[in-house]
Amino acid sequence: MFVKPIAKKKQANVDHITGDKIPKSFVFARGKLPVSLRQLQMDLRKLMLPYTALKLKEKKRNSLKDFLNVAGPMGVTHFLMLSKTETAPYLRVARTPQGPTLTFKIHEYSLAVDVAQSQLHPRCPQDLFKNAPLIVLSGFGSGEQHLKLTTVMFQNIFPAIDINTVKLSSCQRIVLLNYNKDTKLIDFRHYSIRLQPVGVSRRLRKFVQNHQVPDLRNLQDVSDFVTKAGYGSESEGDDEAATVTLANDLGRVNKASTKSAVKLQEIGPRMTLQLIKIEEGLCSGGIIFSEYGTASEKRQEKNQSNGDDQDDNEDIEENDEDSD
Amino acid sequence: MRESVKAFKKRKSGHKKGSNAKKKQRQFLDMKAKVKKIDPRLKKLLKKKARDYNSDDDNEDETAHASEDDNADSMNDDVSSDDDGKEKKNLGIEIEGSENEDEEDYDMQPGITRFSEGSRAFRIAFKSIIKKAISDDSLGPVLSGHKKLVAEKLAEEETERKVKGESKKEKHLVREKGHVKPANYLDAHEKFLLTVATKGVVKLFNAVNKAQNAQKGLNPSRSKDAKVIKKRRKEAFFSELGKKPVADTSTKVHASSGEGPSWAPLRDNYMLTNSKLKDWDKIPARHQILSTTYINPVIYTYQMEGGKKDYNCKIFGNLATGSSETHHAGKPLYRTDPSNRLED
Repeated sequence: MFVKPIAKKKQANVDHITGDKIPKSFVFARGKLPVSLRQLQMDLRKLMLPYTALKLKEKKRNSLKDFLNVAGPMGVTHFLMLSKTETAPYLRVARTPQGPTLTFKIHEYSLAVDVAQSQLHPRCPQDLFKNAPLIVLSGFGSGEQHLKLTTVMFQNIFPAIDINTVKLSSCQRIVLLNYNKDTKLIDFRHYSIRLQPVGVSRRLRKFVQNHQVPDLRNLQDVSDFVTKAGYGSESEGDDEAATVTLANDLGRVNKASTKSAVKLQEIGPRMTLQLIKIEEGLCSGGIIFSEYGTASEKRQEKNQSNGDDQDDNEDIEENDEDSD
Repeated sequence: MRESVKAFKKRKSGHKKGSNAKKKQRQFLDMKAKVKKIDPRLKKLLKKKARDYNSDDDNEDETAHASEDDNADSMNDDVSSDDDGKEKKNLGIEIEGSENEDEEDYDMQPGITRFSEGSRAFRIAFKSIIKKAISDDSLGPVLSGHKKLVAEKLAEEETERKVKGESKKEKHLVREKGHVKPANYLDAHEKFLLTVATKGVVKLFNAVNKAQNAQKGLNPSRSKDAKVIKKRRKEAFFSELGKKPVADTSTKVHASSGEGPSWAPLRDNYMLTNSKLKDWDKIPARHQILSTTYINPVIYTYQMEGGKKDYNCKIFGNLATGSSETHHAGKPLYRTDPSNRLED
């Protein structure tokens, strides 16, 4: 008997160019969330697009196991879990199915709506969320283990870029995580990337971009439109650092081998995170790192301090000298 | 003719009016009849009610007077109370009388009293009202005027509302904890973050430009061009390999890493140490990342012909953006990850 071998379907969760496994994510809540946090959850889902479940429905009775069961067949590699306690909201970033889990305390957060409201001209092009964002991690290189793990975790949450084949038009967004050594807080920002040709007057740029007949009433000649400089608000502060030469054309305005300025505009959400715990497993298992110290460590410290108290004063003085 | 018609019409219209009026009258009469035909039982009940009401009033009056008697001096008050009593009696009689009258001349229309009767009743009623001694409150029984009561009640409500509002506010605060509306200007910190992000983007774009410029003008689908591309990629790949990772010269170095090739797969101990994410802490030890900024893992690919199989070799580098602390900007720092490596 001949059984026709089932043609192996091309896996959807593999990049067809680079052949890498594309990381996918679920963003969901644990426990009941207030309205603003639910909105934050939605914003995070949009941020994780396109490899996330935007309309993931969750119910009260859904346990972590349910999500895990679905995650396997769907090829979901990361979980982002939002939860809320009396003191603060929390964000847990976990790799499935084995972990590790990073727990962040959200000190402050602003929704995408708030960010848009704070801006004069909020920008949201149509295909902004069609490609995965770039990720930039800054200030994590201080050599501490938990920071390294955080770096690895966040690098793997978005698909890798093949610089030989990547199209610049697919780089529309960027996620920035900036670690502040002094405060131990991580700033989480989400920007949209826009490229503008350098050395072209604002008028001409707008003319090419907008496809609209310009207002020539106040001009004597058409040539004035090109030659006359715009008003003084033209931001000539385009520093050299923010200009790039493009490998290929990007849109109608940015041509290859011309200089373009990189402009970023925030799209939110905005978060200030503090890493408080790292667990080995998926929301379980041994604690690799804890901001407030693990229970066993605390016990040890207590014992040590007790021991110190019993020691003579001289010993303590010696210790002080040593520490100095 | 016309005139006659008109007249006729007029007359007719007048007639009509007359009929209407009659109708109205009839209706009115009917109404009267209806009014007159009130159930005697109901009437009795109403009367009883009225009496009760009056008696209540009397009682209240009496109590009020009694209280006042206690308070006030003897003589004058006695007289006045006597007067009151008399009048009360009078009033009572009067009411009864009027009732009797109502019963007696049944044909008289209800709601209409004789003028003299009415004026007398009014006089008595008015007198009784004027004579009424009122408590010192000055506002009397007008509830809405009782400022003290009203104020008390208002205050009570206010405190209740305050408590409610406070609890609501507290709940809201707990719910909105950490939620901050961003300022509509860029402060120093935001600007710093923006520049960091911009640097990252510029770094990546430049790298992409460098990599893609190499294969510019070549069509990968054409075999001739494909070969050229391959060759160039190979060169680029090995040039990346040739760069020594900064980590090798740093303080934390494995014994082997000093001598062996910088790229992990070319080392002897490659794959002996499993570098899954589980052993994440061992990876950076081998390839210490010194720079402060990373972008997505960037892939440098190169196709190697090894035996029968073609397999991709990849380096996952971090595009390090230049920072003031380190001068290793642009040097790729290698990270090997079996999960990212191709299996066949």
